[in-house]
Amino acid sequence: MAERGVSRRPEHLVPVPDPAAPTDADALLRAVGRGDEQAFARLYDLVAPRVFGLIRRVLRDPAQAEEVAQEVLVEVWRTAARFDPDRGSATSWVVTIAHRRAVDRVRSEQAATERTVRAGAAALDTPYDAVADEVTGRLERQQVRRCLDGLTDLQRQVVTLAYYQGHSYPQVAELLKAPLGTVKTRMRDGLIRLRDCLGVEVTV
Amino acid sequence: MTADIHSLVGAYVLDAVDDLERAAVDRHLRECEACRAEVAELREAAARMADGAWSVPPPRLRDTVLAAVATTRQVPVETPVRPAPAMTPGRPRWVSRSRWAVAAAAVVAVAGAGVAVVVQEQRVRDQRGAAVAAQAEQNRIRGILAAPDVVLRDQALADGGKVTVAYSRLRDSGVVMMAADAAPTGGRVFQLWTVRSGTPVSEGVLAAGQTSVVTVVEGISAASAVGVSVEPAGGSSAPTLMVAAVKTI
Repeated sequence: MAERGVSRRPEHLVPVPDPAAPTDADALLRAVGRGDEQAFARLYDLVAPRVFGLIRRVLRDPAQAEEVAQEVLVEVWRTAARFDPDRGSATSWVVTIAHRRAVDRVRSEQAATERTVRAGAAALDTPYDAVADEVTGRLERQQVRRCLDGLTDLQRQVVTLAYYQGHSYPQVAELLKAPLGTVKTRMRDGLIRLRDCLGVEVTV
Repeated sequence: MTADIHSLVGAYVLDAVDDLERAAVDRHLRECEACRAEVAELREAAARMADGAWSVPPPRLRDTVLAAVATTRQVPVETPVRPAPAMTPGRPRWVSRSRWAVAAAAVVAVAGAGVAVVVQEQRVRDQRGAAVAAQAEQNRIRGILAAPDVVLRDQALADGGKVTVAYSRLRDSGVVMMAADAAPTGGRVFQLWTVRSGTPVSEGVLAAGQTSVVTVVEGISAASAVGVSVEPAGGSSAPTLMVAAVKTI
């Protein structure tokens, strides 16, 4: 059933990330760094759904997400020459820029409404367990989901609240009523466990 | 302190730190190869979480982006980290006396025979100029402190003492008042910072042994925080060791 659904999608709705993509993206991004616009168009097709999806997840507003995604993708073009393949994959380089921008946007809006936020942490956001549910639902069939499941509850909560919702670690501590030091530590050891599960390796 | 920075690595990779903390970690990473390797791997792992957020953008985004790219210049490969430039970027408020000294020296070199007179005149002007400048600074400080929308924030320094920031959106400026219990050891000095668009900008370096300062920061609306750090003599281009940070948003 799922297979047939996929085959009938319009052309631009390429669904699941292609596992062979990363190496391709590396070569494309290097070509983009040399000013190759066609390579950029192909790189766009590879990374745009991830970039847009992540920003949309963090901002929870498709219109704003589109605006920020546009900034990010143009930024990728502008700064591609700075990509250093020895320090990580092209996909991760692009996603890192996207996440940072999305978080900056969220924070600048939070700054504008900080008083409302202080009025009650409950009003700040959806409860974390609902978020976690949504996240895991979307992550089905994905290795990342399996690996997130392998974290302790607290590790998973601090990592996903920060990454998917753009909360700072003090905000996460407040939401979870957990000590700051614990939140920092769980973020780090949660990521370490995620790294080990995903088998991520970077040789610097 | 290094232990503190290491404990921030996870939050740093998740973009869950504030601008000053990020600057501190960045700084540390430049000197710590093992840490760079850890950050690179954790970042790779974190980026994989974007797989779970996969969502196809509207097709018009592609057109907009490709059109923008066609008219956007690329930046060249990043040059190696610049050595710290002589540290009074744009705002040499604390060195106004030495500027007068330079001017006086130039006058001496050119004037030849009439040296004594010229230098004497210069000295009078120097003192008068310094007095006028000090008066103007006092007036600006008073103007900010008296602004109807003035906000006061303070923060203890890590090793004792306090930094207070009084700022006004209306005046678009702030007064930073710092008094430390003791000067940093080992010939190091205090340096003041603002964070603007996520980047720390030096607001001046204190002299060795100097433990207090009052200074005006212009354009405070564009700054998200004011910080105090401890630096090698002469200051640094990015904060090494933050000892206090005051949010101004």
